[in-house]
Amino acid sequence: MIKQPNVILGNDELLVTMGKKGDIIGFFYPRRDHAQHVEESLACIHTGERLLWTNDNEWNGIQNYVEDTNIVSTKLYHDSGIRISILDLVHPDVPVLIRRFKIQSQKKLSGKFFYYSNFNVGETSKKNSGFCDTDTHLLVQYWQNYHIGIYSQPEFTEWQIGKAMDTIWWTNSKYDMEDGKLQRNKEDIGNINNAAGWDLELEADGANEFVILIGAASSRRLLYKRMQELSKLPLEHIFEKTREHWVMWLSRKQVIKIPGLEEYDNLRQELFNAYNRALLMLYLLNDREYGSFVAAPEFDSNFEKCGGYGFCWNRDAAEIVLALRHSGYPEYCDMFFKWCIQTQLSDGSWFQRYWLNGDIAPSWGNFEYSTQIDETGSTLYAMDVYYRILEGLKKAEFLEEVWVSVLRAAEYLMKRTKSGIHESCMDLWETYYGIFTYTNASIYAGLMGASHLAEENGEAGMARRWKKRAEFIKQATIDRFWLQEGYFAKGVINEKLDKTIDASILGTYVPFGMLSPKDPIEKDMIQFMIDNIRKKLSMSVNHGYGIKRYENDSYINGNPWIVTTLWLSEAMFAFALDLPYEKTSFASTPPTHENSYEKEEIPEEKVKTLTNEGIKCLKWALAGATSTGLLPEQVDQSTGNPAWAIPLGWSGSLILNNILLLDKICRRKAGNSEEN
Amino acid sequence: MVRDLFTFAGFNENSQIVWFKIIYSKEPGSLSLITDFLEKKNAFIMFGHLDNITQKTGEYSVFTELNKDVDPEDFALKIKELEVVNEVEYGISEYGMVYSVDFPLNVIGVRGVMARALTIVDIIKTLNQSAPHAEGLLTFSGLKGGTHAAKYFKSILDLNDSNFANVLAELFKGVGWGILEIECDPRTYEGKIIVKDSFIADVYGESDQPVCAFMSGYFAGYLTEYFGKNISVREVSCKATGKEFCEHIISPAPSGGTSQEYQMRGEMR
Repeated sequence: MIKQPNVILGNDELLVTMGKKGDIIGFFYPRRDHAQHVEESLACIHTGERLLWTNDNEWNGIQNYVEDTNIVSTKLYHDSGIRISILDLVHPDVPVLIRRFKIQSQKKLSGKFFYYSNFNVGETSKKNSGFCDTDTHLLVQYWQNYHIGIYSQPEFTEWQIGKAMDTIWWTNSKYDMEDGKLQRNKEDIGNINNAAGWDLELEADGANEFVILIGAASSRRLLYKRMQELSKLPLEHIFEKTREHWVMWLSRKQVIKIPGLEEYDNLRQELFNAYNRALLMLYLLNDREYGSFVAAPEFDSNFEKCGGYGFCWNRDAAEIVLALRHSGYPEYCDMFFKWCIQTQLSDGSWFQRYWLNGDIAPSWGNFEYSTQIDETGSTLYAMDVYYRILEGLKKAEFLEEVWVSVLRAAEYLMKRTKSGIHESCMDLWETYYGIFTYTNASIYAGLMGASHLAEENGEAGMARRWKKRAEFIKQATIDRFWLQEGYFAKGVINEKLDKTIDASILGTYVPFGMLSPKDPIEKDMIQFMIDNIRKKLSMSVNHGYGIKRYENDSYINGNPWIVTTLWLSEAMFAFALDLPYEKTSFASTPPTHENSYEKEEIPEEKVKTLTNEGIKCLKWALAGATSTGLLPEQVDQSTGNPAWAIPLGWSGSLILNNILLLDKICRRKAGNSEEN
Repeated sequence: MVRDLFTFAGFNENSQIVWFKIIYSKEPGSLSLITDFLEKKNAFIMFGHLDNITQKTGEYSVFTELNKDVDPEDFALKIKELEVVNEVEYGISEYGMVYSVDFPLNVIGVRGVMARALTIVDIIKTLNQSAPHAEGLLTFSGLKGGTHAAKYFKSILDLNDSNFANVLAELFKGVGWGILEIECDPRTYEGKIIVKDSFIADVYGESDQPVCAFMSGYFAGYLTEYFGKNISVREVSCKATGKEFCEHIISPAPSGGTSQEYQMRGEMR
């Protein structure tokens, strides 16, 4: 069953995903993509009469992060007057989730507090083994070198290790809780589950606290040691250390000010929060050892409704590391490009997607016709962008490190673009085979980047050759795909020009810069493209307009996407910044959806309009976030709720780009006001 | 469930199946008046059902076979003209396969559905073929059903040692799941259940292993809820394996956790 998280937390070795009511959905250790050890893990209360599962509809919940941290607060309210306040944090140094449950009741309550878990240690329900060490009060479940343990304060007084799905059903820990007492079976094997129990005696308006530690380790000995050491530390100390860890990490960020947004209620603060949240989220999607990123924490590991998200795509990761670089975290670029060098295929291209350790992942792009050439283009492009930002010795070292990889990738792109447009492959949405505007733009950018790097490396001949091909690709793409309606066709599918408007054609401008606003014709093309995407792909959701990927999109109901909406706003902000700078002032009355762009505007007005329209997109994206501020992939078109992959790294990188660009626009305007 | 359901096989092109729900005044002879009228108008009564709504009014649901040329609306109006009749609703079973006056169906207190045995057995077969721990999964699914059934019966009648087995047997027969012969000692919680014509085993086809884990789970849930004590029910003989009937052994579940024998499974299977 697919369950989507509302919040994530973790440290370098552990990634935990949780539902709105504090139920653990995913427990990834030691990597973000593998292994996911939890099927179900949550608390419940036996009132003396019946079990109340904390993820049940009977509870109302509020969940948020403790400001500027990856510490989570979940508050649950039950009609019977029971309240549970859960504080979740992962220790910054060891892979242990610490869960503090504070239980209050308006009425006297004499029952039990249970913590139930169905672990699939090693991501398998087979051949697991579990035991309860009653001397140390540790519940342990293990498979090969994965060991997951539960420890508590106060120590649990009863327990059960049972068969999770078996004909001897009465040993099942989930069932065992129903009568309010556990059978205290100490060990079992196979597909097993476990429960720990405590007496819960509350006077009216009384409260009780239970702290549960769920830890992971590569050996039993290490698990025991970790739990013992942690149990000696007061929770306040761990909380403070964890909070400090996140605040310190955030303190390295590129400072943003975004002045002059007074007319938008609270928007400035919302953007500060979104900026911090995106950074904190991306930290958790990154593998510190390898430098790769999961696109999103996996939530459909059986590929029931999609191909899964818990893998690294070069396309997504290249965007993410550049956004992190611009936000003040260059080390992610260093690590990721090292990973790229290791993972490049023998033909010079990159595979559709990888496990975080660089192994190729399950794929539907195993052939030349089904590969995604844009991923190779994006990687080369990102390498060059990063190189341009570097200074001094670091610049030379980086070039030395990536040069062979650049050469191989560029030659791969040359091989696949002999006619000026790329040979048939799969599109970036991983749905169509053919020739695509977006893919051509990414190849253009990749070859231009490679050309620049070749020039810097003293390889003028190669630089000329690659640049010439890039320019050929640009011309061929414009000649063949630009439509008189004022946008690029999606591409050629089944040997026919597909005129469907696809938001990814924005890639010709942002990020790949195939079109330049400095050229008057191309400037108009960018403007037309922005207008047409806004007009033709807007969907009214959450009192605003989100942008869907393309006309007739049917993937997960064809919802509007955060990615495409923020892509459009990024293009608007970038365009506003690229226009010839004149002294401007922001509109006090933002233009309406209908009237913008309809008449020729002077640059000052144009900047204003673009900025205000971009802000609308930004606000729409933020409205589609989870209660904890995580940006999903999509927004459900009928409910307005976050949809599908949550959180999506690509959405996070785009919000960073957007906020940084808006900050630039606002600062420019503020500087201008000061001048005046 | 059967009370308001009309089912027949076959299809007569010259007639139509029409049901009427007639609310009438409960006076002596009023029902006869209605049935006489139907008979006089050549409405062939296929199935009828009475429900006492209040002390003053009753509900008579009747399935009739009418000639094709009879207008059901007109016919309903004529019924309504009868002095004892207060209200009439009607409906047509266009294809004459399955029809119900009341929607949705109700089976022991909650919504019910009708399905061909094969439909359910296909689910069971698919699970057995493809899902890990299918037997456990089916046991748990059955367990829940049996628990709900016993809870419902406890809420509407005095379920006791003299009737708990008969109630279960009647239910199984009523819903078409099988004919039960139950021997169970309420003092020792031991016994056996013979299932003749189990709908699972009947339709499943030949199998090397017993296939009625869902039913074992159902019995376990029913008995556990009734006795208030965990009861183990396991199928030791199954019609699908070539036996004459299915047999499920009842015993109290061991307390104090999983003992070695359960892990090793030597004695259990």
